[in-house]
Amino acid sequence: MSNEPEPSPFERRARELLRESVDHLDAATRSRLTQARHAALAARSRTQPKWLDLRVLAPGGAVAAVALVAVLLWGGSSHHPANDSGGEMDDLELLTDSDGYELSQEPDLDFIEWAAAMGETDPVGA
Amino acid sequence: MHHCPAAASATLLAVLAASPQGGAFLSATADPAAQTLNGFLAEVERKAFRMAQMALRHDDDALDAVQDAMLQLARRYANRPAAEWRPLFYRILENRIRDLQRRRTVRGRIMAFMPWSRDAEETDSDPVERAPDPAPGPVAQVEGSQIGVALQQAVGLLPARQREAFLLRNLEGLDVAETARAMGCSEGSVKTHYSRAVQNLREQLGEYMT
Repeated sequence: MSNEPEPSPFERRARELLRESVDHLDAATRSRLTQARHAALAARSRTQPKWLDLRVLAPGGAVAAVALVAVLLWGGSSHHPANDSGGEMDDLELLTDSDGYELSQEPDLDFIEWAAAMGETDPVGA
Repeated sequence: MHHCPAAASATLLAVLAASPQGGAFLSATADPAAQTLNGFLAEVERKAFRMAQMALRHDDDALDAVQDAMLQLARRYANRPAAEWRPLFYRILENRIRDLQRRRTVRGRIMAFMPWSRDAEETDSDPVERAPDPAPGPVAQVEGSQIGVALQQAVGLLPARQREAFLLRNLEGLDVAETARAMGCSEGSVKTHYSRAVQNLREQLGEYMT
């Protein structure tokens, strides 16, 4: 509730006259004011960040979602164990097979002796 | 197979945004903020013009001031709540009016020091500067039954703060608190400026305004 004093007759008359002057603005000025308003609204839309606009985000977001699903599906299938060549498992077996490791470290003495004997009796190029 | 409403909406938006007609349709209907701002500016533009015109006594300058105020409001403050626009707009407008008045004063001083301008001043200086003050004066205008014009001229001659308080209250219809926000001062200051404005105007026009 306003507790402002009632306007005096002078103030009431002044208000009437001022508002009349606004109502009787000429057409050319009204037209220029309308143009100015439209220019201001256009400036506002230019300064509005477009990337925040849902209408702009919607198609881009849909494309991004489809691409993400495709990447997930393709990537998931390429790493399936059924598609592996088995090389990794062979390496693992070699590393964990203690018999194979010991065999490879033991020299073949029979072969070495036979080779030495062959070298003494039948030298190459003789 | 089930339908996903979000996906359907996204598809519809994508289709509408992709077509020119759809884009125009969306921009016309889906921006209520622009419509609200348009409505506000349409409501204040004529009153703002009259205020600027009384202060500057030059139609083109007044239009420039109003246009600048609209642009600034739209660019900087359009995202503020609409309830804040009115005081903001009138504060911007008054600042712009004072800028133009200052520029005019500085230009007048510079021109007065220019030797070549003194001869030309008689014939070719700024018509606003050369324009006689509202002689024969508000009272003489009243005698010609142009009391509205006389009132506008008398208001234009008031000190800036008195003019601002008087017009915001009587032309824009703001109450004391809203006027204080628009003027960036206390409510007490508004009352003081306003009462002095009314007193000044009554002394000049009182007998013709009742």
